[in-house]
Amino acid sequence: MRLLRRLRRGQVLLLLVSLGVLVLMMLWKPYALIEGLQRGGLYALIALPMALILGVVGIINLAHGEFMMLGAYFAYWLGVYTGLDPLVAMIPALVAFALLGAATYLLTIRRALKAPELNQLLLTFGVAMVGAEFANLMWTSQPLKPHLSYVYSSMTLGKLRFGAYAFVYTVSAIVLLVLLSLFLRRTRLGRAALAVGQNPRGAKLVGIDINRTYLAIFSLSIALVGAIGAMFLTRNSVFPSAGSPYTMKSFCLIALAGIGNLPSVVWGGFGLGIAEALVLSFRGYGGWADVVFFAVLVAVILGRSYRRQTA
Amino acid sequence: MSLKGKRMGLRVWALAILVVVGVGLFVAADEGTIKLGAILPLGDITGAQASKAMQLAVAEINAAGGVLGRQLELFIVDDESKPDKGAAAVDLLATVDNVDVFIGGMSSGVHLGELPALKKYEKVTVWIGAASSLVEQAAVGLDWYFHIHPWDYLQGASYVQGWADLQTQYPLIKISKVFWAYEDGAFGTSSFQGSLVAFSNWLNSGEPFKSALLGGGDYRSVLRHAMDYDPDMFVWVGYAADALPMMEQAAEIGFTPPLFVGSPPGWPADFGTSPLAEGVISYGMWAPSIKDVSPVSQHFWDAYIAKFSEQPATYFAPLGYTNVYVVAEAIQRAGTLEKQALITALEATNYASPLGETLTFTPSKLIAHQGFRNQKILQWQDGQQQVIWPFAYATALPRYPFTGK
Repeated sequence: MRLLRRLRRGQVLLLLVSLGVLVLMMLWKPYALIEGLQRGGLYALIALPMALILGVVGIINLAHGEFMMLGAYFAYWLGVYTGLDPLVAMIPALVAFALLGAATYLLTIRRALKAPELNQLLLTFGVAMVGAEFANLMWTSQPLKPHLSYVYSSMTLGKLRFGAYAFVYTVSAIVLLVLLSLFLRRTRLGRAALAVGQNPRGAKLVGIDINRTYLAIFSLSIALVGAIGAMFLTRNSVFPSAGSPYTMKSFCLIALAGIGNLPSVVWGGFGLGIAEALVLSFRGYGGWADVVFFAVLVAVILGRSYRRQTA
Repeated sequence: MSLKGKRMGLRVWALAILVVVGVGLFVAADEGTIKLGAILPLGDITGAQASKAMQLAVAEINAAGGVLGRQLELFIVDDESKPDKGAAAVDLLATVDNVDVFIGGMSSGVHLGELPALKKYEKVTVWIGAASSLVEQAAVGLDWYFHIHPWDYLQGASYVQGWADLQTQYPLIKISKVFWAYEDGAFGTSSFQGSLVAFSNWLNSGEPFKSALLGGGDYRSVLRHAMDYDPDMFVWVGYAADALPMMEQAAEIGFTPPLFVGSPPGWPADFGTSPLAEGVISYGMWAPSIKDVSPVSQHFWDAYIAKFSEQPATYFAPLGYTNVYVVAEAIQRAGTLEKQALITALEATNYASPLGETLTFTPSKLIAHQGFRNQKILQWQDGQQQVIWPFAYATALPRYPFTGK
């Protein structure tokens, strides 16, 4: 009980400190706060499907960014041939990438579930390379991006002028978090996935079809990241290596949040986005943004490890 | 000898004759072609389009009767933009395909890896890319080495000249304060440092950004710093992947400097379709609009589209075409493939290229055979890149100031 009270006190303190920092930033570096929330939203949005796979199937999908890149190409070419806006193309992308995810799972992942973790990593790395080379062969390394006038719409608040559209990532990350949480807690498949993620053997004993659950979760995650690729395309160019940096960032974010902790992926994403934007707002120190990203990651992991040792 | 033995003997003889005749025919056919060995990054649009343009030039030359009555044969090897692959490609082309001349090439880093291999074989080499002066330093004293692309310092000098000419010709254009946003890799950093030297009479300021090519893509903080600086000219040095997002984010924060210059090695295919491209200035060796003032460029443009059903989108396409024609014409003039005669013939090159200028080889700072010396200043106007400098090849008047619409 005392521990619980201490934890709550700690959480309240953390919340108050966070709010204080946000208010200070709003007064001191408002653009860093606004743009940090936007870029952090993108990080969180991309990381959520990866966190789902890692939490349930237990595989680090190194092809995560490549699926996003292929989703962006899918939306681009759908736009070229049918005139569909990338945001609308997210719907067919969901279906197409669910099928692609299912095929990838059945042809590759399923066969490596019992293999050592290194083999699983190598397998998904191979899938990533196939994805990138496929894109290179199909569309060369030439970057592609449709012109969309709404992506540079801006808002004015007093003397502040900032982009409004990029909040789509912030809002989408929160919406996706809510939907995934509802899915995991309120649906039969979601509850099965949670059970499988926590204890596959126990889940099997109570009659859950583990293989089918893995297939469903992997397909759902790839469907989501394919659709997110379409949204990514609205503000970014797509080219064969466009996705790979986001695999790394997503993995780091999940490591920061803790495996299976979806809300922390989102809050961690916002935190890192704001930290990066704050560093970037100081002229001449932009190069430190990546350092900050990894420094925060290392500090959190060390802190968590220290807490576990002292508990 | 038994009947069976005689038959066997006859079969052996027949086989031997067939082998001798076959090998003879193969050798004769082999001697009948002039072999050009090209090394290009085929996964990149620059290499892919240069290779197509080379194939087009070879097809045209062969259809017109070839060179010295012999057909050209083009061997293309992908260097995958990797120095070790480039060096291996040189070995392959020299020892297996036994090419007569080396052509091609893009990246300086890759070419620095290829040069030691090229030095082993000392075959005549005519290179279209690799602009770094480090390459020039590595090619000192190579009498068989011909370089077509302007070196980095020549490009810098041509921009200085170009902006001086533009300000003189159009007094409305005034540049004294410039902000440079450059990608934080070797390309952007060295370009920025070179620009500080080249444009030392301007008040320069700059800041690096992380290119989308390396996982970046949020330029708003750099753009805000540039806006605070209030420059006469804003220059970003990055890659094609940064082009449209950079313009969108500048529009988002309302940044419209009088001159907005982008300096990527190539532009994305759809850039011109964006209204944000209007008025953006760029550097390059060629623009499709040159076809309006150059019949050679018009011919190249039409022939390329007819053969490949796509438009040439990078200046490496006309450079690749030029590469093959320059070598073919030199062999024709030399009347032989003998190395010294070919070098002398190449030194006499006077080729009206599809890039607009006539190509000749003259000494640069360190090497004896440097081709082009100038870049061009281009401006996106109504979805097309127009040449605004040098005035001799200008296809349009400059539009000033940049409005961001």
